[in-house]
Amino acid sequence: MPVRDARARQRRAPGRPGTLRTMVASEHFSGWAFVTPGVAIILLFGAVPIVWSAVMSFQRSNLLSPSTPFVGLANYRQLAHDPIVAQAIQHTLIYTALFVPGTMAIGLFLAVAMNRKIRFISFYRTAAYATMAISTISEAIVFIWLFDPSYGVVNYFFSLIGLPQQQFLNSPSQALYVIVVMTIWGWTGFAVVIYLAALQGIPQALLEAAAIDGAGPWRTFRRITLPLLSPASLFLSVWLTINALQLFDEVYLSTQGGPLNATTVLVYYLYDQAFQQFNFGFASAIAYFLFLVIIVVTVIQFRVGRRFTHYRS
Amino acid sequence: MSKHRLRGTLAGPLTVLTVLSAVTLAAAGCGSDAGGSGGGSGPIQIWEGWTGAEAKAFAHLVAEYQAEHPGQKVSTLYVNNDNTLQKVLTAVRGGSPPDIAYLYGSWAPNVAQIPQVVNLTQVVSQSGVNWTDFWTGERDVATVNGKVIGVPALVDNLAVVYNKTLFAKAGLAPPGPDWTWQQFEADAQKLTNAAIKQYGTAYVTPGTEDTVWHWEALLWEAGGQLLSADGKQAAFDSPAGLASLDTLRAMAVTDKSMYLDPTDSAYANLFNSGKIGMLVTGPWDLSGFPNVHYGVQVMPSYPGTNGGHQTISGPDNWVVFNNGSARVSAAEQFILWLTAPAQVRYFSLQTGDLPIRQSVAQGSLSNQMNTALPGVATFVANLGNVRQARPQIPQYPKISQILGTMVVSVLLGKSQPQAALASAAQQVNQVLAAG
Repeated sequence: MPVRDARARQRRAPGRPGTLRTMVASEHFSGWAFVTPGVAIILLFGAVPIVWSAVMSFQRSNLLSPSTPFVGLANYRQLAHDPIVAQAIQHTLIYTALFVPGTMAIGLFLAVAMNRKIRFISFYRTAAYATMAISTISEAIVFIWLFDPSYGVVNYFFSLIGLPQQQFLNSPSQALYVIVVMTIWGWTGFAVVIYLAALQGIPQALLEAAAIDGAGPWRTFRRITLPLLSPASLFLSVWLTINALQLFDEVYLSTQGGPLNATTVLVYYLYDQAFQQFNFGFASAIAYFLFLVIIVVTVIQFRVGRRFTHYRS
Repeated sequence: MSKHRLRGTLAGPLTVLTVLSAVTLAAAGCGSDAGGSGGGSGPIQIWEGWTGAEAKAFAHLVAEYQAEHPGQKVSTLYVNNDNTLQKVLTAVRGGSPPDIAYLYGSWAPNVAQIPQVVNLTQVVSQSGVNWTDFWTGERDVATVNGKVIGVPALVDNLAVVYNKTLFAKAGLAPPGPDWTWQQFEADAQKLTNAAIKQYGTAYVTPGTEDTVWHWEALLWEAGGQLLSADGKQAAFDSPAGLASLDTLRAMAVTDKSMYLDPTDSAYANLFNSGKIGMLVTGPWDLSGFPNVHYGVQVMPSYPGTNGGHQTISGPDNWVVFNNGSARVSAAEQFILWLTAPAQVRYFSLQTGDLPIRQSVAQGSLSNQMNTALPGVATFVANLGNVRQARPQIPQYPKISQILGTMVVSVLLGKSQPQAALASAAQQVNQVLAAG
């Protein structure tokens, strides 16, 4: 076998190095030939817009008139002075701080509850994941009615247990929290699936050993299960944080940033500036600011997460 | 990472870039070819967003036009109206705008800035077009700085739709054509019953233009104006502005007779479920009220002012883009035919949309339309109550945002009308001064 290989190599080798034929014959070339259409499409529809919006963030551009004067850092300076940007940042941070841990905690709880052999378990698992399959628009409509101040089921239950009636989406101090609840509901299924998969990767032997050593269920969970779930937790925290910082659909569908900007988050404000106000330059600056925030947050998450993450099981 | 690896990764993208430039060049070649052949004849491209009955009626008219005009081909492309401007902007940048696009009237001042938009001032002043036959509100919105940038495509207006059953139950007489906001307020209060969660009226509170134009109608009825005549100053911080916001505050905060809808969509379902007595809305909502026995009345007035029962209208336009003179004239010819009386009449009868021409609205048409869609005749007649348009300036979207916040803060009881007016007027003046 090795002999034949060597001979074959010899036979292929002759041609002068650098000729067109060797280039075409090389694996390198055929590899690139195969991926070029895909790469071209990605560059055209991914990279070009990214670069273009970077350029736009230094221009005053409304996309309507052809004049797009360069304004240097003016758009970025405006970021610092626009009071709604400050509010949007605050709302985005509050939202992220509640949404990410909330989704992970509920997801973990449900996953642990469903990580056992009980009757109808596949039904429960499917049900938990179903929230991911429901379109955001139906989700938003359902939540709008659940939290309707006059006709909503939530206020009805509040009245049954003697709690005061709330204004929810009509109240500037409550609307953001309704959106937190809405999105946690929508994303919990995702966390459940990730955690369930991770839970099933935990070797039974470790759990049994802990039991033999006299560890109770809570201790086993804290000392064995939770550390072994840490890669899944890191993944979820990064993934959910990126999604949270880009919150848009639910706001657009339910409150359109209102009442009184109470649910205006960064991406919604970006959309508003670009497509309602025609400030494409400023909107691009918001996009790049958000991009920077996401990079910084993700790097921090990985740095901090590494300390608590155990990859070997 | 080793140096070797680094070089390897660098070589990759460079190769790709080279390949890509080749691809781009090839694509550009194809593009100019297509552009070249399309520049002359070929079907004219229309971007429209009709659905349902409107789509059917429009397709029929397009077919009829092509049959009547051999050699004239019209190709239509459905685009959701909300996204048309966005897509047109992209197409303009790519050098391939449609020949005609359906664009919201509220975009007109911004659309006017696109260099490829065809100035139709000469075209609509031809004798056969009868430009003044279009409603005042429509012509105002199609004209930016004296330049006609579109031909009216659709028109509507606001009136009061009320639930006859709820009025009778409350022992109230149905509103008459000479009613006042004071009466509206009193009726709303009597129609409100907290125990069964029934409201006198409703208002949309996302703070968007939908929130704003409902209020603008009240401002005009109170005899007020949004901006000074020269368009350089805010003019709504006035007794009329105060009266309009006081009316809203009385119902939303004091009487709690107004259902506040943060979603801009719930109110219609509630009205159709008999939970709301009166709605200020347009003809587009009527088909969504099959479960209630409703009537339609013109907007109430503020006695003692010159505002009368005027209303606000949100017309949309057909805008023509320049793809060479041959295509422009073909597009103009089609648009003028489409908006001629016979076609307007057909479209209104088929769809229930209000006729965009005054001459068509006269005569038997509105009765015929009213049989299919009760109440629509009042909306047709109400077009005569449209006396003015929103300011046609590029800063309007920004002003609208300030006004939206003002109205919502009053409705939610977060500010007093006078304070809200003063603060909004100051912000609007800043926007206007910035140019």
